[in-house]
Amino acid sequence: MKRLAWILATAALAPLVFVSRGAPPKPVYVGSRVCASCHDGPGMGHQYSKWLLSKHSQAYASLSRPEAWEIAKISGLREAPWEAAMCLGCHSTAYSADERDVDHETFRREDGLQCEGCHGPGSEYAAEAVMRDRKAAMMAGLRMPTKDDCLVCHMEKGSHIAVLSTPAVDIEEAWKRIAHPLPKPSRMAGLREKEPGDYTGSAACGHCHNGPDYGHQFDVWRRSPHARAWAVLATPRAAELAREMNVAGDPQQSAACLKCHAPGPHADEGVGCEACHGAGRKYSTDAIMRDRAAARAAGLRTGSLNDCNGCHNAAHGKPFHAAGAWKKIAHPSRLPSRSAAVKYKNPLRLAFRPGTSELWVTLETGDAVAIIDTRTRRVIAEAPSGAAPTDVAFTSDGKRAFVSNREEDSLSVIDAAARKIEKKLTVGDEPHGVLVTPRDSHVLVLNTSSEDIHVFHPRTLAFEKKLAAGRGPWDLALSPDGGNLLVTNMYSNMTGFRQPLAAELTVIDPVTARTRDRWLVEDANLMMGIDWHPSGRFAIATLNRTKHLVPLTRLLQGWTITNGIAVIRADGRVDQVLLDQPGLGFADATDVEITPDGRYALVTSSGANQVAVLDLAKLTRLLESATEEERRRVLPNHLGKASEFLVKRIPTAASPRGLAISPDGRLAYVANCLDDSIGIIDLATLAPAGKIPLGGPKEITKQRWGEKLFHNARITFRRQFSCHSCHPDGHVDGITYDIEADGIGVSPVDNRTLRGIGDTAPFKWEGTNPSLKRQCGARLSVFFTRNLPFTPEELSAVDYYITTIRRPPNRYHTPGTRYTPAQRRGKEIFERTMTNDGRVIPPEGRCVFCHPPPYYTSRRRFDVGTRQALDRSGLFDVPHLNNIYDSAPYLHNGMAKTLEEIWTVFNPYDRHGYTNDMTKDQLNDLIEFLKTL
Amino acid sequence: MKRAAILIAIAFASSAMASEPGAEKLPFVYTKWKQFTVKDGLPDDHIFSVKSDGDRIWVGTENGLALIDKKSSKVVKVWTEKDGLPFRAVTGIDVDPKTGDVWLGLFGGGLARLSGGRFDHWHQLNSGLVNDVVYGVAVENDNVWAATTAGASRYNTVTGEWTIFTEKNAPMEEIWNYGVHYGDGKVYLAIWGSGVLEYDVKANRWKDYVDPDGEMEIDLYRDDGIVHVITTGANYVDNVLWVSSYFGVCRYDGRNWRSFYNMDSGLPSDFNNNLRARSGREAWFASDKGLGAVMDAETNTWVAYTRDPKSDSGKAVVTRDKTVLETVEMGLNLPHNFIISVDVDGQDVFVGTAKGLAWGIGEGYYSGLRERPRMLAENRGEGK
Repeated sequence: MKRLAWILATAALAPLVFVSRGAPPKPVYVGSRVCASCHDGPGMGHQYSKWLLSKHSQAYASLSRPEAWEIAKISGLREAPWEAAMCLGCHSTAYSADERDVDHETFRREDGLQCEGCHGPGSEYAAEAVMRDRKAAMMAGLRMPTKDDCLVCHMEKGSHIAVLSTPAVDIEEAWKRIAHPLPKPSRMAGLREKEPGDYTGSAACGHCHNGPDYGHQFDVWRRSPHARAWAVLATPRAAELAREMNVAGDPQQSAACLKCHAPGPHADEGVGCEACHGAGRKYSTDAIMRDRAAARAAGLRTGSLNDCNGCHNAAHGKPFHAAGAWKKIAHPSRLPSRSAAVKYKNPLRLAFRPGTSELWVTLETGDAVAIIDTRTRRVIAEAPSGAAPTDVAFTSDGKRAFVSNREEDSLSVIDAAARKIEKKLTVGDEPHGVLVTPRDSHVLVLNTSSEDIHVFHPRTLAFEKKLAAGRGPWDLALSPDGGNLLVTNMYSNMTGFRQPLAAELTVIDPVTARTRDRWLVEDANLMMGIDWHPSGRFAIATLNRTKHLVPLTRLLQGWTITNGIAVIRADGRVDQVLLDQPGLGFADATDVEITPDGRYALVTSSGANQVAVLDLAKLTRLLESATEEERRRVLPNHLGKASEFLVKRIPTAASPRGLAISPDGRLAYVANCLDDSIGIIDLATLAPAGKIPLGGPKEITKQRWGEKLFHNARITFRRQFSCHSCHPDGHVDGITYDIEADGIGVSPVDNRTLRGIGDTAPFKWEGTNPSLKRQCGARLSVFFTRNLPFTPEELSAVDYYITTIRRPPNRYHTPGTRYTPAQRRGKEIFERTMTNDGRVIPPEGRCVFCHPPPYYTSRRRFDVGTRQALDRSGLFDVPHLNNIYDSAPYLHNGMAKTLEEIWTVFNPYDRHGYTNDMTKDQLNDLIEFLKTL
Repeated sequence: MKRAAILIAIAFASSAMASEPGAEKLPFVYTKWKQFTVKDGLPDDHIFSVKSDGDRIWVGTENGLALIDKKSSKVVKVWTEKDGLPFRAVTGIDVDPKTGDVWLGLFGGGLARLSGGRFDHWHQLNSGLVNDVVYGVAVENDNVWAATTAGASRYNTVTGEWTIFTEKNAPMEEIWNYGVHYGDGKVYLAIWGSGVLEYDVKANRWKDYVDPDGEMEIDLYRDDGIVHVITTGANYVDNVLWVSSYFGVCRYDGRNWRSFYNMDSGLPSDFNNNLRARSGREAWFASDKGLGAVMDAETNTWVAYTRDPKSDSGKAVVTRDKTVLETVEMGLNLPHNFIISVDVDGQDVFVGTAKGLAWGIGEGYYSGLRERPRMLAENRGEGK
């Protein structure tokens, strides 16, 4: 209370400070109870009570309901709902505020969507003198929201509708429902608190008694009618009942009513914890509460039905079913465990542990490494690793394993014999390939998203350096003589707007761990698996050849995305051949392994569920007999050449990814990612020779079914590509496509990520598809696949899977932690309303107008002046900005290679926000903030 | 008193020894030079920057970048804009000691990284670089600093964050940054009109060194601080700060300043474009009238290398307090007397001039002074 008075006094001085210094102080969030000190009572239209009775006040508490988990899942979230920025953005207030922008004495996140969620942080306008002058209040940060502001959170969200089965919010009706007008004339009154005595208030209980470890007890109370027992006294019905009971005056001030509706000194909490459990000051310390007897001795009471009956028995003529009510308010500290989510294994990559018969397999969704004894063909152990383990490598003695964890940005160092993690090393963003160089001199980790390579010492685990890779480094292989280390990169280099692709092979000196060269593979992308021929004369890497400069609908005329390999000579010359054949696409060539005798190369097709066996002598002859012109122009595109060297197509289970060949060269092992199994191939007969189950669930969930469909090329004409081909890891391939059938180059559009997009409809850059169902339904057939569309059931499964593709954690900021100085300055620019020279920026010129949190999209279409000659319209869907840093290039057609270029090059007339008055350092700050979203 | 007497006695003895004919304490003189010009494959004769990196010499010119292999003494690779170099004029070069990546300051083209043959390019439109006119570049741990005409930029290669330093957030009265150097945990910026700024990386703290005489172009009070606020280069080695300017050069050991001018030292000219310090006692200055090397700062012993444009022959003049101790004639040393850049590495020295590159080979190099016979009129120039 003292604190509250201080805040109000301070706030009252705010205008003086403004006048004397000339710069408005930064407003901070003070919490709804500060507003309540004036805005309640009949003279103020019971505004605070109305809010307490609204769902807004329970918005945070609702995040611990079981349904919230499912919503989080189909929103692509990794965190618990009550911790996820995406949920907190609408279910709480000030979620993105720096901790310094919140008054922790008075503000409580648990109060849900509070007054300041709509009206802006209140410290500077809360004083009565300011509030009585609307203009001054607005200058001090008061906002008067519109229905559009409500729509930021209340626009139809597929995830909520799917889980809660509630219709979309009718904003007109909702606006009426939350109306809280001031009576005219108004009479200021507000929350008046009594001396607390030994009462601490329920919020104090909630400090400990919340979260999953305490059964979310505070949230359970917050959602109960008990928490609204005082507020309900402000309703017309309460007034009616009071009259019937001959209670005079305001029921909220009546002792007769308060006896049951607010028995403690903190009236607005209604019937709080201490109403049943006794005043808490003497027992609420942690030490006492952990000793039940001591707590009882200090006054803790166990509530009983008798307590309930005191107020509820035939109250207001209503019958009271004690047992039912008791059950309803139950708040055990231990919750029944959530039904265990079906968790698949998703094997990705394999490696033999040196000197043993153990085959180690990374389990992407199992967060572990499966260890198989290849003699018995059984899984003998699962070693925990980290989130989404991707690749595994060993020291030469096999004593230590290194496992990259894609969703955790870490490298697990595992004691291979003990199967225990020794240490986790921090690496770059989304690590994939790992390799230990000869004589254990270095361990290299490829960071696919941050596009660099971390180098550690395998023994000391000391970080040595970071090398610049190509775009999306994925796999690496060491030449047999140990002299050349080749790294494949998934994405094409940024070659320029509507220019042919060129993927990089990064050449590293394994001794010095320095980049020696960078070879370009023309017209290629998605270079993934790589292996050297034992002769050292060449290496083979998988690739896609994506013809993004012709309309995708040309699929029918021959090819648009073709799949094959690169044959890389030791001197850097590269040949390309396709593994597709007419009618037999080899979609998503993923990994390659060459037999120890150099006779065969095995290549997995994760989209066609097969392993191709290439006769390397035949392949070499084909290349050597070809003219330079044939090698450059014919072989990379010829669908008939694979038959000359592709000697066998071996069927596999769903989505084969990684390969490993036994040291004796007799057997090959294939990671069947979406079958949770390892397939075995007999290399003498080139036939399947068994399967090792990894212990995944038998049940095929809707999500799993969708995942399989997403990764399968059956949906495209002649199985040329899958959804995954353009959206590897559910993300982007960095390519601008021409997806229209009406002519070459019309309306080219940049590929957009699928991570966490479920609630960001409409889809397509022109915003013409209101749902994923439409985006991936018949339209997919017309514009992309030119084949029979998914059946309705399949479509439903694919859409469901897409919504569950998880968004990686933001690497630049964790909600609730401090922003860096640059991020903080950038946030102010993002939210600014005035230019540097003091002009008011019209609302549509402000960043937050089109990009409001938490998704940072208004889900509407705007013309930001980026229309180009080939575009049909200048109106484009506002993209969401979450993890925007990892999806270059930018703008609707990918013409901005960096975030800076959006404004330095493509915003000459301030159509894309007011930015031209900004200094260079302000733009840098803005970008630092954008990277935190 | 006793201590002073001993010191005087030692000084007298030294002086006596030096006066013995044929045995005098003299500095090392570079007499073996190689030259590289467009005839040898350089893309241009205007050498704006030079950096020695192990077996390689990186040469930044007005029209491209060149790589010289020390073993073969050949220009083995040249990059111009046609070869992917993002901009023609290369004014700054530094090499990341861990990765071997080469960072380039481009005079009008921003900042570039050459890694494995690939150029990555950052400029004021596609990145947070404050300005495209980059004079100098320096690698500091995971950061790369660029001295530009509109302030200094720091690029964090791990987080991708750009930080701009100008008058807003650093004691930078002028923002025209000429040179940047990293050494011993500190970044030094030489600024046209703002002296030298020191940035302590760990403490995240700035310190400025300005001329106590203000902007006067005379040194009113000698050795009272930096010689002038218009500085062109700053190096920090062995806890000693060396500074070059258009009005002389100076040295600061953390306690005392010492200025050097053409009028009272072997510095060929007060107009100095750059410098490279080898140690706390030795530094090399790129002047408009030759290459000056203070080989022993304490005794003000210098070697000035110049070239006679008429005879194409060069000479080195050894001085102490302006007294000529010896003059070493040599057939070839510098291709031109207008020196723009200089680097030292191991025993060797590399000099960028307005008409080609000179490589001084320091066979038998020794630091400081050593008793040796004079090399009067000796000519050991060996040519290429």
